[in-house]
Amino acid sequence: MSDKVHVTLTVNGRSVDADVEPRVHLADFLRHDLGLTGTHVGCEQGACGNCTVISDGVALKSCLTLAVQADGSEIETVESLATGDQLSPLQQAFKDAHALQCGYCTPGFLMTITALERRGGALSREELRGELAGVICRCTGYETIIEAAEDHLAEVAARG
Amino acid sequence: MKAAPFAYVRPSSVAEAVTALAEHEGMARVLAGGQSLVPMLNMRLMRPTAVVDVNRIPGLDTVAIGPEGGSIGSLTRYSTLEASADIAAHLALLTTVTRHIGDRQVRNRGTIGGSLAQADPVGEMPLACLALGASVLVQSVSGTREVPVHELLLGPYWTSLEPDELIVEVRFPTAPSLFAFSEVTRRHNDFAVLAVAVTATRTGEGFTGVRLAASGVEATAILAEDASAVLEGTSLSDAEIAAAVEATVDVADPSDDVRASAEYRVHLLRVHVRRALERLRDGGDRV
Repeated sequence: MSDKVHVTLTVNGRSVDADVEPRVHLADFLRHDLGLTGTHVGCEQGACGNCTVISDGVALKSCLTLAVQADGSEIETVESLATGDQLSPLQQAFKDAHALQCGYCTPGFLMTITALERRGGALSREELRGELAGVICRCTGYETIIEAAEDHLAEVAARG
Repeated sequence: MKAAPFAYVRPSSVAEAVTALAEHEGMARVLAGGQSLVPMLNMRLMRPTAVVDVNRIPGLDTVAIGPEGGSIGSLTRYSTLEASADIAAHLALLTTVTRHIGDRQVRNRGTIGGSLAQADPVGEMPLACLALGASVLVQSVSGTREVPVHELLLGPYWTSLEPDELIVEVRFPTAPSLFAFSEVTRRHNDFAVLAVAVTATRTGEGFTGVRLAASGVEATAILAEDASAVLEGTSLSDAEIAAAVEATVDVADPSDDVRASAEYRVHLLRVHVRRALERLRDGGDRV
């Protein structure tokens, strides 16, 4: 068994200290060690994007990042979005557009769109589809997800 | 599945990284973007004794591209390449192919050096680097050497890199002014079934410096040198394009796999080499 490595990182604004095995990926670390089970593991090979989180402002697949790599990073998961029972505007947009059915992929979409929202800039529907192509949904057929993302990004842009 | 255990090494310089690689005598793997390595670890297709994480080595992600070509640090991420105005202006083929690689999350992590070291037979980056005549600067405990990409790629996931060598930079000569890129995938941004990249410069009525590369038709991306020679100095007439198509098919030896049969790949090769050359004749692709 290889030696554990000490890591210090920030997760959803909270400072975290832990000793992790190098082979543990970030998604498992978030779920098993920190109990943040909002990040969903679908394929563990980078195909489904359901485990997408934001690391230092960048959307990445947490199953393809080792937990030790997150040492010193600022990680944001889906748990960072809502305030208590109050949905975030993006989550509300998903609810309004019926952009989820089973909901398994939803955290991946929410975090991918959150990173996109911060990047700013106007996107065509086609470009938006491209930006979201890294998350796979098996229920909705995507139309309502694209709609929710479009509605939300338009609202953010209108607010300035 | 979960990865088998390995030791984790996080060097802070290239010298430290290559020393670690040398110490593990071929049993260590370099972790750059991790978008190919980590799936292989998770699936236990690979069980290295150590993973050498080069992500914290400073100075490996510098983009220095101008009208005379230049260099791109091996740790430069696809998203950075995609957004670089210098690359769009002077190596537009790279910008174009980057948009065909993976998805946003993958491009946020994957690196140019990692892609070349991974040597996926249908990877867009090895193909584009071949068409652009790029080379890699590699460093080991015994020094540095420059390897042209066509000598780097030996086969599927197989390069001429020694176990203790690390790609530190990708170097590009002056890029031709025109390019065309054509790719077939079964799904949006999936691994390519086949891709064709061609670059050239228009000189009066003719085209010079033609470099035609194809992937998905051999064990690795190939440079179709005979086809390039057929086209050199010509105006890319329909007859000349047809001759180049056949010269490309002559050097292709595809095999059947899960994505397409060998026969279908040859069919696709004919169609896409022709289309790429016709587009080149009409002024080439735009970013």
